[in-house]
Amino acid sequence: MADIGRVRIRIPPSIKAGDVVKVRVLVIHPMEIVQRKDGKVVDKNYHFINRVIVSYLDKEIGQFETTQSISENPFFTFAFKATEPGALRVTFLDTHGGKYEGAADVRFS
Amino acid sequence: MERWVNESGITRRALLRALGAVGLGGLVGPALGTPWPAWAQGNLASLGPEEAVDATMKRLFGGRPIKDGAAMIKLDLPLIAENGAVVPVTVEVQAPMTAQSYVKAVYIISDKNRRPLNAKFNLTPAMGQAYVGTNMRLGESTDVRAIAEMNDGSLLQAKREVKVTVGGCGG
Repeated sequence: MADIGRVRIRIPPSIKAGDVVKVRVLVIHPMEIVQRKDGKVVDKNYHFINRVIVSYLDKEIGQFETTQSISENPFFTFAFKATEPGALRVTFLDTHGGKYEGAADVRFS
Repeated sequence: MERWVNESGITRRALLRALGAVGLGGLVGPALGTPWPAWAQGNLASLGPEEAVDATMKRLFGGRPIKDGAAMIKLDLPLIAENGAVVPVTVEVQAPMTAQSYVKAVYIISDKNRRPLNAKFNLTPAMGQAYVGTNMRLGESTDVRAIAEMNDGSLLQAKREVKVTVGGCGG
């Protein structure tokens, strides 16, 4: 569990200005499933990621609301329009107050 | 109870008004005091409710009409998922992403999951293309819907069935 919250972002190696770029991002997280006992749901503070925030050039461009029906070590893909060089940042928030962040540098070649 | 109230000179109307004021005060207080809404916690009350898919659709979209968007939405899913714990899905909406017209949100809903809403992706025109993907869990063989909400509020839906060999939602 030491790896929890490690974020990996992959963007294509060569990007041209104005391209729509597809990004893959992965975070190590258990995404705890609802437990049941005798058919009844156990009430506890489940540990899973419920919000993913994507920002580019310090501007929020997308926000994903996720639930427990997303797999363990969740993986997301999305697109964004590369207008200027700068940082692409993806922030994951979980139900226990955890905040995990990954960043990629967008450079034009 | 009511007779006693009337005899003592407190009318039913006054009593209800007083109770209403107390109730409102109780509601507003904590709402202002806690900047983070309930989603910050993973307790049962804030998880998506266990419900049938019709109830989910009603909760999310009210009675708004949902058009068939199979021509516009590309829903990429395996035909057979051997492991329900990891089912890759990608949704691509072939719609322009400009400030005037764009896809505001993409919902992924699996009909037979106990909590049907898998994820909601809020998008902005800065994304350039309405393309999202993730790995999701499916409890059993089910229809999976992708619903795109445009910025003018119209809804488009694409649906596909996935056969799941081993369910991925545990108990």
